[in-house]
Amino acid sequence: MKINGVAIDDTFAEAFPMKATRIIITAMSLKWAYRAANSLTGFASSVIACGCEAAIERDLPPQETPDGRPGIAVIIFAMSTKQLQDQVTKRVGQSVMTTATSACFAGTYSDRMISLGKGLRYFGDGHQISKVFRGVRYWRVPVMHGEFLCEETTGVVPAIGGGNFIVMAKTARHGLAACERAIKAIDRVHGAVTTFPGGVVGSGSKVGSKYSFMMASTNEAFCPTLKGEVKNSLLTDEIGSVLEIVIDGLSEDAIKEAMHAGISAICRFGPGKGIYRVSAGNYGGKLGPHHFHLREIMG
Amino acid sequence: MKPLTLKLVKKPEVDIDLSPLTPDGLAGKTLKEIRNIKLDASGQRVRVGDLFEVTGGDKQHIQIRRCSRRLTHIGNAMVQGSIEVHGHAGDYLGRHMGGGRISVHGDTADWAASGMRSGRIDISGDAGDYLGAAPPDERFGMVNGLVTVWGSAGDRIGDRMRRGQILVYCNAGNYIGSRMVAGTILVLGRCGRYPGYRMKRGTIILRGSLQQLSPGFRCCGYLKMEFLRLLFRQIAKMGRRFAFFREFGPEVRRYAGDLSTDGKGEIFILQNARM
Repeated sequence: MKINGVAIDDTFAEAFPMKATRIIITAMSLKWAYRAANSLTGFASSVIACGCEAAIERDLPPQETPDGRPGIAVIIFAMSTKQLQDQVTKRVGQSVMTTATSACFAGTYSDRMISLGKGLRYFGDGHQISKVFRGVRYWRVPVMHGEFLCEETTGVVPAIGGGNFIVMAKTARHGLAACERAIKAIDRVHGAVTTFPGGVVGSGSKVGSKYSFMMASTNEAFCPTLKGEVKNSLLTDEIGSVLEIVIDGLSEDAIKEAMHAGISAICRFGPGKGIYRVSAGNYGGKLGPHHFHLREIMG
Repeated sequence: MKPLTLKLVKKPEVDIDLSPLTPDGLAGKTLKEIRNIKLDASGQRVRVGDLFEVTGGDKQHIQIRRCSRRLTHIGNAMVQGSIEVHGHAGDYLGRHMGGGRISVHGDTADWAASGMRSGRIDISGDAGDYLGAAPPDERFGMVNGLVTVWGSAGDRIGDRMRRGQILVYCNAGNYIGSRMVAGTILVLGRCGRYPGYRMKRGTIILRGSLQQLSPGFRCCGYLKMEFLRLLFRQIAKMGRRFAFFREFGPEVRRYAGDLSTDGKGEIFILQNARM
């Protein structure tokens, strides 16, 4: 299969079930909401070592936020509800509550709710005030900038992590130019995010290593500097750089839509602009129950 | 199906307790059975059929027409459905209400929403004293839910209120939110003396000026209370009639108290609430 001269490999991306929650951060201006969101989603590229994966989903205009101020929706993913709870409390407490004028609300509701402001309220040292509006409890924590307003809980929903596609390009410059367009296209899809810096993974990994203490190591099959050295290289001569886009989503459909949008944007560049092939990362289908076949998605 | 309509045909001379006539209480009953229900009329027993003309069939939606102040305990402990009252209602409307909705197209007497646990009461006229308050033998007044009064309300509304919201469009009497434990009272007109007297927690929001404040309150100055944005947006979403709340700003003069009871309540005087 070729789209605009770009070969689409007959393979699939293998993804895993995760737990996720969406939170809405508002502030006096979008700039300050962004600062809170940026801090919260910092060091949250991969669950391998960050504890969670998190990214900004989209900006929210005042009419879409609970308090009528500009806001940002953030999605946080973790391998278990317990891990998610731990990360949400730490990150909202250290990144959102500390941002001047910020407030924090739940963006998802489900039968399984985890603490959002429930634990953070104790920062109020007895001066915190609870308010229940339309069955939802909020906490008002007096802080130095005024009050930090936070919804008591946020809903945990089943999610999928590790949807991906791999872009093979002439150089890193060519690959990044295409990937930046792909990320812009993916950003328009609701319920799907790319958690790595700039949405692009420059050092995609495989599971395991020759070293027993390493959980993951470089994916030599896609390393251009090793293509003459390793037997399992999947690269041809003209490919000088490989970049991966990893997508986490709240549903299979959201990931499929994001992959379609991203790959379509990549293919618009074509071989003339240094984009040769698109592939995907998998583990033979043995580890993850969600399989996203590239040719099916792009068909 | 048409709502079950109870049209008052005989003006009562004594208070009559309408507790049995709720959507829950009438579920599964035929019109004949409903007409034979006996109501407590200050110690006497009176048949529903002798008091009302009963028509319609949808017991989830009850209409009481030509209502009188002698008809008390309307919607007592109801947990679902709706009751629409045309005329003035007597004492204890929506007492211990656990859900559903009551709309009153007229005034209510005292003790409306007393001990209310959930649901919503809309009163298009005035409400009497002790709206959402606790009777002497009960620990808390209104425990949750929403009450809107489009006219004025009397004294001691929200006395020992535990949770929920009371919204008064016009004026309110003296001692509103007295001994309040938590919850929110919002008065858009004038307010009488000593709001929040001995309140422990909770929020009283006033749009008009203060007449006289209990000495247990201390001024915290002019502040922007960001949570008010959330509150006003939530209220504005309740219907077109409430849309003007969108224009309200979070700027307030805040008083904390009642310090005589080590209270952590607050009174806000809205500074940016043009109507």
